[in-house]
Amino acid sequence: MNQNKFTRRDFLKMMAASAAFATATKIFPGILFAQNEQNQMLTQTLNDANLTAQDVAWHKAPCRFCGVGCGLLIGIAEGRAVAVKGDPASPVNKGLCCVKGYHSVMALYGQDRLTTAYVRRDGQLVPTSIDEALDIVADKMKETIQAHGKDSVSIYGSGQWTIPDGYVANKLFKGAIGTNNVEANARLCMASAVTGFITSFGADEPMGCYDDIDYADVFVLWGNNMAEMHPVLFSRMLDQRLQRKHVKILDIATRSTRTSLAANRSYIFNPQTDLAIANAICYEIIHNGWTHRTFVAKHCTFKQGLTNPGYGLEDNYVFNDEVSDISFDQFKAYLKDYTPEKVAELSGISARDIRYIASLYGDPNLKVTSFWCMGVNQHTRGTWMNNLIYNIHLLVGKISTPGNSPFSLTGQPSACGTVREVGTLTHKLPYGTVDNEAARQKAAEIWQVPVENIPPKPTYHTVEMFRALDRGDIRFMWIQVTNPMVSMPKLKRYRDGSQKEGRFIVVSEVYPTPTTDIADVILPSAMWIEREGLFGNSERRTQHWDQLINPPGEAMSDTLQLIEVARRMGYGDLFAWDETTHIEDIWNEYIRFHEGAKHGMAPYAELRQNPGLRWPYVNGQETRWRYNAEHDPAAANDEDNIFNFYGKPNGKAWIFFRPYEPAPEEPNEEYPFWLCTGRVVEHWHTGSMTRRIPVLHQAVPQAYAELHPDDAKKLDIRHGDLIRLVTPRGSIEIPASVGQRGRPAAQQVFVPFFDESLLINELTLDAFCPISKEPDYKKCAVRVEKV
Amino acid sequence: MNNNNTHRSRLGMIIITIILMGALVYLVGTSLQKEQQTADIANLTRYDTPSQPITNDPFLNYGQQINQLTSAPISGTARTLDAYYSRRAYAGAPPIIPHPITDAYSFGGNTCLQCHQNGDYTPEFQAYAPIVPHPELINCRQCHVPVTTDELFTLIDWQPLPHPEINQSALPGSPPPIPHGRQMRDNCIACHASPATADEIRLTHPERSSCLQCHVYIETNQEWIR
Repeated sequence: MNQNKFTRRDFLKMMAASAAFATATKIFPGILFAQNEQNQMLTQTLNDANLTAQDVAWHKAPCRFCGVGCGLLIGIAEGRAVAVKGDPASPVNKGLCCVKGYHSVMALYGQDRLTTAYVRRDGQLVPTSIDEALDIVADKMKETIQAHGKDSVSIYGSGQWTIPDGYVANKLFKGAIGTNNVEANARLCMASAVTGFITSFGADEPMGCYDDIDYADVFVLWGNNMAEMHPVLFSRMLDQRLQRKHVKILDIATRSTRTSLAANRSYIFNPQTDLAIANAICYEIIHNGWTHRTFVAKHCTFKQGLTNPGYGLEDNYVFNDEVSDISFDQFKAYLKDYTPEKVAELSGISARDIRYIASLYGDPNLKVTSFWCMGVNQHTRGTWMNNLIYNIHLLVGKISTPGNSPFSLTGQPSACGTVREVGTLTHKLPYGTVDNEAARQKAAEIWQVPVENIPPKPTYHTVEMFRALDRGDIRFMWIQVTNPMVSMPKLKRYRDGSQKEGRFIVVSEVYPTPTTDIADVILPSAMWIEREGLFGNSERRTQHWDQLINPPGEAMSDTLQLIEVARRMGYGDLFAWDETTHIEDIWNEYIRFHEGAKHGMAPYAELRQNPGLRWPYVNGQETRWRYNAEHDPAAANDEDNIFNFYGKPNGKAWIFFRPYEPAPEEPNEEYPFWLCTGRVVEHWHTGSMTRRIPVLHQAVPQAYAELHPDDAKKLDIRHGDLIRLVTPRGSIEIPASVGQRGRPAAQQVFVPFFDESLLINELTLDAFCPISKEPDYKKCAVRVEKV
Repeated sequence: MNNNNTHRSRLGMIIITIILMGALVYLVGTSLQKEQQTADIANLTRYDTPSQPITNDPFLNYGQQINQLTSAPISGTARTLDAYYSRRAYAGAPPIIPHPITDAYSFGGNTCLQCHQNGDYTPEFQAYAPIVPHPELINCRQCHVPVTTDELFTLIDWQPLPHPEINQSALPGSPPPIPHGRQMRDNCIACHASPATADEIRLTHPERSSCLQCHVYIETNQEWIR
């Protein structure tokens, strides 16, 4: 604090001394740059063409970045994207974007854009025509299958895959080739949300929607820096607080962020103890008689699963949860270990604060919406944490009604649309799971393949898939729209594994990345508005966009790349779509999987006209609140019940007892700090797009390690000093950040993961949630050394 | 005399009691009503489509700004339109933050708006702060980010939508139309009549507050054909 003050005064003095603003421009190169170089660079341009704002045609497209799914209007002139506006007609963002969205189109124009294919010859990546490269990919796949079997080839996709990309990948691998080796990077970001929904409700994706923001009185954010990661929704929340003065925002987190600063109350807990805090809230609700008795009696049953399942640190780790019934009294008895006093000691949040949070959940006059994202999902007990938040909402009956919503946010634009709905995970089909015979039959019928083609057993989840590549069980991997050589935890093992002799890696990309560095073939991809596509956002909204500009050079959409390889492998009949209408044809084939009141999808023509539509789309109507008969036709039942959790056989949601268990690696004498990784508002994931956008790169040019000011003082580290972070997996040297945008709790370090030259994932642990198999990027032990 | 005193103190007691009872009735009443209000809001909003336009009244905060309406800054550095344009990646883009941020661990409402809500004079920059046309959006760095390096990660072939031509009056002396979009900046006064305003776009008549009476948005450049 003192140091802060000094800096500011020092700064003021310095500024006062400068006689004019012009002097300041010399001290701060940023200003100089902004006024001269950038000016020239940004406005070299279409000026010659006498272009005016009125020559620009504005077309709708969902934003390319996060899972919020803002509607954008893209300004197109002379075949180029030249500007962006928020789409006022989009109910998601109502005209507002964030800095990534406003500058998103600039990511199309980096000078190192991949415009041609590359094939590795004698160790060198050599430019090759795309036709030849696609031949090589198809041949290599056939060859690998012949030599090592179907399960030796795999595809690793993304929550940034468009729906058609994921659908074609799933059909090619599971239907045509006959392997369940299909995974997507969404496993690393929302797999725990999926298993949370499946275990508690039997059906994936939120019951509520963004409209809840306009009704809720209290927002509880669980380990979620919404101000930076979901800024547009955060602004909608702030706007509600401005309009309705009683609205409160509570931030429960391990690090003080912009969200904490904006919240009415901020609670900082010790990592991993969120499990205990959620249980303590349940304890308080039950012991104060705030339980909604009729709701719980009619619509819930109590369950417990196995405990101490481990952390998946070893290869071929298997865990199958066994769920058994318990009574309400048993559930209540289990919670005895989670009195606010006991949990206060463990978590660092006072008993009084825990009681206050519980009282807001428990107050029958308040509508409560909980938001969470990576803090809860990237957690070695992520599924449990999701269950626990549902427990709270179910106990007080605050669910599936406007403003009452446990709402799981997603990080990627189509994590829901492509990964969860199309089922691009090893165990999933577009409808149901591979181990379900009826689901396999349905898939076989729609795909027109023999049902025996689809193997009934899931193979590898993401971490295990890369381990299999390392071991040699997988020999061929096709990576699309993702950058695992930056984003995988315990990176060194998986990078070394992928470069072993006899491995073949194909990467579909738009820019050179650490993942293209290890590729044997690089396929140049058409990006976002350079092709037609569909995304599905966090609130079940499917959004369509037209192709607005041409892709550069030989770049080709991921959908077409997959179709071309499928044809070359002899599966042309299954992918016989015409290039001009293939997206519509794929959509029409795909939505047959979801026919019916529970998951009906909007027709293509309506999606083209609307700023997105939310499923279940039944009789021309979106469904805003699922499981609620007043809003959801599928929830209608004979009894006069409003609610029907139809994902479960008897229509009852499951309240799980899930205990607190410690993290696999906690700070110790040798590694005394917690290491948490995450994101910043300026950069998208591994930065391969946003770092090429001048405005974003110049705001945050490199990663840094945030320290608590007291720790920095103790270690004699000042802001900007180079420090060394060490874990048993590796070490990096990185500038320290003290007193900047975020403030970790004492004995904690926070590092964003976007920077490919400061790879924090060299240090992270590949422990994962035993149920969801999602790694925990938020917790491991680290040592901090001054360099 | 004595009697009078007793009367007076009795009267005082009665008045105090009445005041106390009145206060009690008021307190109980308002607290009950408060509860009632929550319930009413709940019922009212239950099925309504919430309307929450993130747009502004053109004269939002006019009251605060009118104090500072001036034809030119009294002191400090004047900005040019080019300087303002250089901070945007394309016409209509959110401008970058061209100055260093002294307190990065902060939230907009407590820092940025201290200067940018009313456009106060800032001694450390020796200039007036430009006024934000949308002060109700307080997560400022959601859209506006600083510049901390002049390096680029890679070069970029960016051809932006150019900034519009100003003074496109149809006739000599006729009021010029508004050449930019209205989204996020439909508060004319904020940008056109503050001390930080660039000379080129400074209003000569800020006291005439009904801007859209004479100045209209250019929506198209196509001619009307019957």
